[in-house]
Amino acid sequence: MELLPLLTVLLLAHAVVYLAWQAVSRRRRACCYLLDYACHKPSDDRKVTTEMAGDVIERNKRLGLSEYRFLLKVIVNSGIGEHTYCPRNVLQGREESPTHDDALEEMDNFFADAVAGVLAKTGVRARDVDLVVLNVGSFSPAPSLVSRLVHRFGMREDVMAYNLSGMGCSAGLIAVDLARNVMLTRPRTTMALVVTSESCAPNWYVGTDKSMMLGNCLFRCGGAAALLTNDPAFRGRAKMELRCLVRANIGAHDDAHAAAVHREDADGRLGVSLSKALPKAAVRAFTENLQRLAPRILPARELARFASRLLLRKLLLAPRKHTAAGNKAEGPASSPKIDFKTGVDHFCLHPGGTAVIEAVRKSLGLTAHDVEPARMTLHRWGNTSASSLWYVLSYMEAKRRLKRGDRVLMATFGSGFKCNSCYWEVTRDLADAGAWEDCIDKYPPETLVNPYMDKFGWVNDVQGQGSGFLF
Amino acid sequence: MPTGGVFSGSVNLKYVKLGYQYLVNHFLTLLLVPVMAATALELARLGPGELLSLWRSLELDLVHILCSAFLVVFVGTVYVMSRPRPVYLVDYACYKPPASCRVPFATFMEHTRLISDDDKSVRFQTRILERSGLGEDTYLPPANHYIPPNPSMEASRAEAQLVIFSAIDDLVRRTGLKPKDIDILVVNCSLFSPTPSLSAMIINKYKLRSNIRSFNLSGMGCSAGLISIDLARDMLQVHPNSNALVVSTEIITPNFYQGSRRDMLLPNCLFRMGAAAILLSNRRREARRAKYRLVHVVRTHKGADDRAYRCVYQEEDDQGFSGISLSKELMAIAGDALKSNITTIGPLVLPMSEQLLFFFRLVGRKLINKTWKPYIPDFKLAFEHFCIHAGGRAVIDELQKNLQLSSRHVEASRMTLHRFGNTSSSSLWYELAYIEAKGRMRRGDRVWQIGFGSGFKCNSAVWKCLRSIKTPTNGPWDDCIHRYPVDVPEVVKL
Repeated sequence: MELLPLLTVLLLAHAVVYLAWQAVSRRRRACCYLLDYACHKPSDDRKVTTEMAGDVIERNKRLGLSEYRFLLKVIVNSGIGEHTYCPRNVLQGREESPTHDDALEEMDNFFADAVAGVLAKTGVRARDVDLVVLNVGSFSPAPSLVSRLVHRFGMREDVMAYNLSGMGCSAGLIAVDLARNVMLTRPRTTMALVVTSESCAPNWYVGTDKSMMLGNCLFRCGGAAALLTNDPAFRGRAKMELRCLVRANIGAHDDAHAAAVHREDADGRLGVSLSKALPKAAVRAFTENLQRLAPRILPARELARFASRLLLRKLLLAPRKHTAAGNKAEGPASSPKIDFKTGVDHFCLHPGGTAVIEAVRKSLGLTAHDVEPARMTLHRWGNTSASSLWYVLSYMEAKRRLKRGDRVLMATFGSGFKCNSCYWEVTRDLADAGAWEDCIDKYPPETLVNPYMDKFGWVNDVQGQGSGFLF
Repeated sequence: MPTGGVFSGSVNLKYVKLGYQYLVNHFLTLLLVPVMAATALELARLGPGELLSLWRSLELDLVHILCSAFLVVFVGTVYVMSRPRPVYLVDYACYKPPASCRVPFATFMEHTRLISDDDKSVRFQTRILERSGLGEDTYLPPANHYIPPNPSMEASRAEAQLVIFSAIDDLVRRTGLKPKDIDILVVNCSLFSPTPSLSAMIINKYKLRSNIRSFNLSGMGCSAGLISIDLARDMLQVHPNSNALVVSTEIITPNFYQGSRRDMLLPNCLFRMGAAAILLSNRRREARRAKYRLVHVVRTHKGADDRAYRCVYQEEDDQGFSGISLSKELMAIAGDALKSNITTIGPLVLPMSEQLLFFFRLVGRKLINKTWKPYIPDFKLAFEHFCIHAGGRAVIDELQKNLQLSSRHVEASRMTLHRFGNTSSSSLWYELAYIEAKGRMRRGDRVWQIGFGSGFKCNSAVWKCLRSIKTPTNGPWDDCIHRYPVDVPEVVKL
């Protein structure tokens, strides 16, 4: 063959191969697999029952009878069971003066259990981890907790470490978002460790402001560590694949922003104040998130059906407005609901409280079976803040609900006010009970009613105690 | 300039080295020039008639020419489109606190004497301040002007709002940025992370969009500014046509140490109020007005080593007061971390001449003679400007020695330490503002920002200047740049 055509063909071939290789490597990097995860199970000496909680409350001499009643009412109606975990300093009577070391000890226990656990389960060495993202809401010492993790496990010098803090209960998915975005930019495949927890030790509220006492009743110790990777070699062993992640932040609205605020009360004591506007902010953020999520995960048929019903309703409703005001034919007709169950098989909802779960259940039109994992997680572990989703997922896995091809939707809310959601596809049948192993057979229990209802049930009979809080 | 016969040997060596550098760095050019000259001579010798017959003999027809042209265009396009998107620094703003927040030495010493009963720690702090390299114009937040300071969460939030909103307002004024156009927000503040986060606070104040991607980094120390830049860069690589707002600050209010342990008193003397807001973008139209382009970010984490991890450590003293202890080995560890960082960044930025020298010296040490000293590459060939984190006088001295820099190169760092104190992660931006205010930033100049922080981390960022910056710059140095550089004495007598 002559020189020039030969050269031309060679160059063309090279260009085509280069282009194809670029496209393939971009596709490869774009997938994100959940290799495995582990939920933290604190030691049994940290379990707290309703009676023990009652003792802790009684220790606080500043509380009067009305506060006492309010707290017990919340605890008894909270849907939280007798096996949740508390930080050691609270159980030892030192909740008024937590030390820096108490908080660090809580974190160290979590690292030793969950992080070491997930590395052992998957056989990934700490030196193979390229990216670590840690999120702990209300504790950020120097050096950062992610540095503490790097130090404890002896990670490499060029590890990319990020420490998120202050981002509330929805920050678990923000950490996943960060990991996913960084993975997309690295030329080589990345192994990412995403660690989420909440620090309870320094955050027990010891004052008398009712809006701040809710945190004591609901938040419990817990944490989770997950390994994510975009290496296709792990596809066979991975549990789920990340399909899409949507974040909505309605902090621009003042009342939403002030829904959950860490501040000082009138006496100068620190606590997280949950305002009465919180449920409304949650609904708003949730709607905002779902509006952006639905087109990305639901089948076209459902979207078309919803759009046509919405259009029909608008067309039918408009002319009726002109008729007599007394005509209430359509009136408060239910607006057409989009059915998420057409695109989602399992719902991992943030167990923020019974009212939150109930509100989400109603708005999505779910059954009791769908919200059972969230309710049971709230009962067994309490509200472990950002890591609670992983406990809910673990419940589903322990109950053998997750089969290959199933689609899972995780949705959480948090201060800011944010609502983040994440859509996974299960890649193989899952059966690992994880942290639920020793108790999954007892769930769901016959009754969720608090066993101390007899002892403390009289609080429910008390009238007019300002029951504006829906928790 | 050394004169006299005694130094003539070293002068000759200097010229030899210059010649060698020129030869290696322009190797390709030097090779091509004779080849092109020879070709031109040959063509001239052949004459037009012979050239035409040579051309015809190639038997090119239209198809061939079109294919070749198409191919060249195609390959060129593929290459250009597959490169990572450039990240531009459109502009940045540094916060300049009001004069009412000024803390001259006399104020600081008086407050210290009134707050503390311990004579020894008062004298210790005096000695630190004398040797610190700080000037009389550094700033502390309003809460720290109370006697004793009032470190409540409300006061901390007030300081955060003051510094962050002022910096962002300044940035909006300079760039005409609309809040609705911000797609990515990264905030870093090491020792204060309230709920809702500082990023949520910014979203609330400026009514940013609900689909914004925000991140609030905390606890990551004085090098966190470059970690935020790294994260913003990664986000900009993934999302085309976006703006990223990066806010770096350190909130001083909650971190006043009330005890008397010496290693924990140092931060009280050195840390001062400051904040910076930076606008990054990957939009092509911003390339026209952007100041810098981000070339590299290199991060090194020495946390696996016990000594490095404990070097900057927050803990409670015997009386239960919380503070940050700085270990005596800080300088050695910083030097170590820098060396690790350099081994990664060196090959990316050093010209070939330095890399070859380093390589040959390394080979020589291993194979020929172990006593040869390792070659320290000359980074002055790779960068025109250096921004070294103004962590303290000792840090700047150590780095000047390690990198063999002249006093002009570290002037920005020393003057920032003098004028603003150690403002933690935002200090690098005050230093860059100094260089611009002095009118030294020209198009094509390369800047190296080096940050150190707890962990122990050493992070570097390399920027390339896209347009010469004209003075006055309307920055934090405008009212005082004419006084600088000042001579900072070793010890100021108090």
